[in-house]
Amino acid sequence: MLFWKKYDKIFADILKIAALVSFFMISFIIIFILKESLPLFKEIGLKEFILGRRWKPVSVSGQYLGILPIISATLYVSFTAVFITLPVGIGCSIFLSCVLPLKIRNILKPYVDILAGVPSVIYGFMGLVVLVKFFENMGMATGETVLAGGILLSIMILPFMISVCEENMGETRKRYEKISEAMGVSKWYMVSEIILPLSLKSIIISIILSLGRAMGETMAVMMVIGNAPIFPKLMGKAQTISSLIALEMGMAEVGSLHYSALFASGFILMMMIFCTNIFINYLKKKFL
Amino acid sequence: MRLKENIIRIWAYGSGLLVIFLVFYIFGYIFWKGYNSINWEFITDVPKGMILGTEGGIAPAIIGSFLSTSIACAIAGIFGICTGIHLEFYTENKKIKAMIQTIVQCMGGVPSIVLGLFGYTMFVLHLGLGRSVISGGLTLGIMIFPVVETRIEKAFKEVDENLIKASYSMGISKAYTIVKIVIPLCRDRIISALILAFGYAVGATAPIMFCMAVINSPVSFNITKPSMSLSYHLYILLTQGISTEKAYGTAFVLMLVLLSVIILSQILLRKRK
Repeated sequence: MLFWKKYDKIFADILKIAALVSFFMISFIIIFILKESLPLFKEIGLKEFILGRRWKPVSVSGQYLGILPIISATLYVSFTAVFITLPVGIGCSIFLSCVLPLKIRNILKPYVDILAGVPSVIYGFMGLVVLVKFFENMGMATGETVLAGGILLSIMILPFMISVCEENMGETRKRYEKISEAMGVSKWYMVSEIILPLSLKSIIISIILSLGRAMGETMAVMMVIGNAPIFPKLMGKAQTISSLIALEMGMAEVGSLHYSALFASGFILMMMIFCTNIFINYLKKKFL
Repeated sequence: MRLKENIIRIWAYGSGLLVIFLVFYIFGYIFWKGYNSINWEFITDVPKGMILGTEGGIAPAIIGSFLSTSIACAIAGIFGICTGIHLEFYTENKKIKAMIQTIVQCMGGVPSIVLGLFGYTMFVLHLGLGRSVISGGLTLGIMIFPVVETRIEKAFKEVDENLIKASYSMGISKAYTIVKIVIPLCRDRIISALILAFGYAVGATAPIMFCMAVINSPVSFNITKPSMSLSYHLYILLTQGISTEKAYGTAFVLMLVLLSVIILSQILLRKRK
């Protein structure tokens, strides 16, 4: 016993250090990424970089480092994905929370969560052999489109959307089930008139959450989107920030402007996702 | 009114079944197609062939993936448990607690490709570890840390408070209480959190692309050397158009790992009840 008394303080200190390390990790990440991208911000400037319309990192006729088309493609794909996910996600949340008995729901929920665990490279694989093939069989010139990326992403973000909506709907159902039974209205009347309107707020939160998820996704999107740094069209090729980094990092010379441009785009991606996270926290505080 | 209700009913059933079908389809497709490419040679041999990967197996990739992921789990586990205990039992100030939680959440939001960039500058260049299994493992560790930490913290939160108070009131020190009562109580949940994180890290490609993964490596357990990894190997096989058959096999192995991870963690979690 005395042994433990003696080491109580040391134990607490070790814990404190571990917590501090994890605290410093995030600042390290931001500092390192920012440090590597500083040369670019100095040389070209943040505004030029974000609003530049041409991305030609290695070219004889002059170097253009503008990632506006790439940022817009990232947003475009993410919004397409959320747009596709939304009806299925809400429908499935209703199915899980209001249709199934609690026992079956508890078995099926982890089953749906498996979708979040499937590695993104497997999604990319499925996208290549199923989706892209399908589009090509439909007679399109290329199957590698923003739409294919959007569909693939929509499957990947489904579990996040479902888990937020479903939890909220389950609570609402618990609160109003007895009352609506006593009033003698049907279950589906309850769903359409009480549960759906009341879960609007959680649906909004889930949309933003899945947007954040979709923006950071790399492998799956990269494998089906075609990777051309042009302005996105639904049926055309495009390139997202993360796939830009993944593809060009191997080519960029350490310390060159191209290298630092890739870090800078990583930094911008990170900031975009932080902003959505902060926004979610704000909404959660306000709504829930 | 009836029409609206019916539409919602069809919508709910339809999308519910669609999601269930999707899970079945993804697993079924990979298992069905990959089943034929799996044999003993594929599991235990190195990649061979005129174009590397068209023949032979994926043994180095399996070893590389497991090594780096184990390193990641060890690191994330140690720091996750420590941070979890610190937050739950030692942090009295609510503001600091909320701040640390926000920071952990922020780390969870860092996209995996940016973590890959960070791992490259920090571990490969600045710390001089080079492209190696250890750099990849550390990067993956940072990636899974938030997942592990939130789960472990939740497990600590659900420990019966009366037990802890009883222990304190008997004059037993905080450290002893935590080591002998809290951690054994949460053991299953901590392990299941780590197992799930293992499954998450095994499939991650973006963080290890620059830090660890290479196209070919010998069968070795040396963690200071670069190594192949399952996910990166799958990516290379597909995008370079090397061999779809081998890609199915690799995907099969990945999905098998994922499936066993999920089943294991579910068994552990259900045992508690």
